[in-house]
Amino acid sequence: TAVFVSLPVPGARATPGSIFCTERYLKVSVPPFLFEAILFAPIDDTNSTAKIENGNIFFTLYKKEPAMWDSLTLENVDKEKLQYLRENAVLKAHEKAKEEREAKKVTKEEHKKYALEATMKLEEAERKRIEDLKEKERQKVTEELELWKNQQKEADKYKSIQKEQELHQEIGQIKEKKNEKMNKTRIPNEGISKTKHKPSKGHGSCSMFSQNLKEEQLPAPRSAATIKVNFTPRAFPTALRESRIAEEEEWLHKQAEARRTVSADLSELEDLKEEEKNPDWLKDKGNKMFAMGNYLAAVNAYNLAVRLNNRLPLLYLNRAACHLKLRNLHKAIEDSSKALELLTPPVPDNENARVKAYVRRGTAFCQLELYTEGLQDYEAALKIDPKNKDIEKDAEKIRHLIQGTIQGS
Amino acid sequence: MSAAPALERPQVVSHAQQALSYTLFDCKWVPRSARLLCLGSAARGCGIAQLYELRGARLELLREIEKPKPIKCGTFGATSLQQRYLATGDFDGNLNIWNLEAPEIPVYSVKGHKEIINSIDGVGGLGIGEGAPEIVTGSRDGTVKVWDPRQKDTPVANMEPVQGESKRDCWTVAFGNAYNQEERVVCAGYDNGDIKLFDLKTMSLRWETNIKNGVCSVEFDRKDINMNKLVATSLEGKFHVFDMRTQHPTKGFASVSEKAQKSTIWQVRHLPQNRDIFMTSGGSGSLHLWKYEYPAQRSKKDSEGAEMGVAGTVSLLQNVTLSTQPISSLDWSPDKKGLCVCGAFDQTVRVLIVTKLNKI
Repeated sequence: TAVFVSLPVPGARATPGSIFCTERYLKVSVPPFLFEAILFAPIDDTNSTAKIENGNIFFTLYKKEPAMWDSLTLENVDKEKLQYLRENAVLKAHEKAKEEREAKKVTKEEHKKYALEATMKLEEAERKRIEDLKEKERQKVTEELELWKNQQKEADKYKSIQKEQELHQEIGQIKEKKNEKMNKTRIPNEGISKTKHKPSKGHGSCSMFSQNLKEEQLPAPRSAATIKVNFTPRAFPTALRESRIAEEEEWLHKQAEARRTVSADLSELEDLKEEEKNPDWLKDKGNKMFAMGNYLAAVNAYNLAVRLNNRLPLLYLNRAACHLKLRNLHKAIEDSSKALELLTPPVPDNENARVKAYVRRGTAFCQLELYTEGLQDYEAALKIDPKNKDIEKDAEKIRHLIQGTIQGS
Repeated sequence: MSAAPALERPQVVSHAQQALSYTLFDCKWVPRSARLLCLGSAARGCGIAQLYELRGARLELLREIEKPKPIKCGTFGATSLQQRYLATGDFDGNLNIWNLEAPEIPVYSVKGHKEIINSIDGVGGLGIGEGAPEIVTGSRDGTVKVWDPRQKDTPVANMEPVQGESKRDCWTVAFGNAYNQEERVVCAGYDNGDIKLFDLKTMSLRWETNIKNGVCSVEFDRKDINMNKLVATSLEGKFHVFDMRTQHPTKGFASVSEKAQKSTIWQVRHLPQNRDIFMTSGGSGSLHLWKYEYPAQRSKKDSEGAEMGVAGTVSLLQNVTLSTQPISSLDWSPDKKGLCVCGAFDQTVRVLIVTKLNKI
């Protein structure tokens, strides 16, 4: 049934890893020793054991078929067969290892599943317990409610009976009221009604009497008065539904874009100084010229600036002012219109600019004697800035002029 | 999560609910009864008022009243307990007072405002408080008007914007401080975050402040006492609790604010039986129950010796999500502690019971 093999391994350390055993093949590799045996008959390698003691390895190999072995190893095996057997053994070992692994995996999964189910059950139980408690609460509360309602109903019935009784009493009393003091008549009746009062809740019926008293004692309606209020102004950001965020964003975006525009026509401008290529610097120059009264120079500055960047509305706006002074009215109108175009979308940020543009265009129209168009522009300016007295005055003047020409013609 | 401490907190139990076929704007308990009133607007553009009775776990429709204009809000605050007349504000700016037994013709009617009446409140009725019954309405036309049902056509007080001022919608109004016959204040909240406190005895503006976001709802914890606390809720999930006992000459009233839900807080309602507990309803369909705790000292002196108030703290007792749509109206029953009704924009009215309020 078993074969006992004792293997001396003097000097070297043997570990479980150095033993390799399959059904028909046994190998022990403990450097520098190597022991190999092709077993005579297959053994049950799962149950066989190997004991490692100092210097010795003691094998207990259980035979698969109980029979006497002629020898431990197979004799007369040639190299090839040996090789084949060896390889076979290794393969078998691999397979076995694989099977073991898989078996392990399967058991692991089953364990996991079991654990999961167990936790789920626990949680379920917990939940149910809470639900039950809640249900009980609910039912208790519902019952209480019903009880209270029934009490109310009875109280109501009671009150209606009492009301009738008190009405009778009142009718009898009205005659006496005028002669006697209220208190005196009240006491005996209250006394009676008080005894009936105890079961019902509230003081509804009692107050019927005090109601009469109260009506006489209610203060007169207040004398009408008005209180004026001011509201906290809401600067941007406004209440979301009034906000013009989208438009304001658009405007900011446009401005950013405009600043980045660089005109492609730089060939002639190469001989200009660095600062002369900067539209903002040119704009400032233009403003200074305008302030000094040198309108032509200002126009030149603005022209150059526009060539560099044709998307800055302020350039057109200021150029329009120059043209007005130079009495180039059509050019003024053109520039104001271009400025207005660039000043869309209309947001609080560009209010001032738009007012100026409208006023300048209006002025130009009036000087061309196109008074209706002028008035239109002045009114547009006024709409944006209703508090500006100058614009108002001018608008009035134009209106008079128009009426004058209508009457005159 | 251990269940025991959680279950000792007040629970919000859903008792009954009813699906409606119209948009519900306001729901109110009829005082001294288990009946409730739902006010709203039907798809065909007319106003609907339905009277339900709570029977067991169901709501039974007792009566349905149809009116030409959609109804936005209503109150029983200014009627006596016997009469129980309902005051309503509608989309057209009309203030009407109805006798629910005979609803064909209003008991009082006035075209109070040019635009929709957003909010209405009543004081002096129901045996609570003293003084003449009055109704206040706040409208989108920026005015707040106080009406006395004995005086026809003109309001007894009118809070309107100064001439030339651009108007802001008034979203909410509330009465307070009605502890004797003369005293009364009206608090109004506007869509730009203004809160204004008008004193009706002196006919002047007593206090104003701005809480940055539109004010959806204001309520005093009690109308009929010396004003104690005021809760104001706003857009973007914030609400402020003001301590109204001490007014500092420049700083006004002390407040504590809390950010509760990510969405608008539509309504705040104090529990009639306990003035330190209130419920807020939110745009995400949730209800939060809060408790206010007073500080050790309610007022202290500042550097110049003037009295200023100290705000306390607010803690969340419970919250529950009932719907996916905003809960726009909320009302506690004055008769049964913990019973409340809420109406949401998903066209359902729900009756809820909040338990364990005795133990707080």
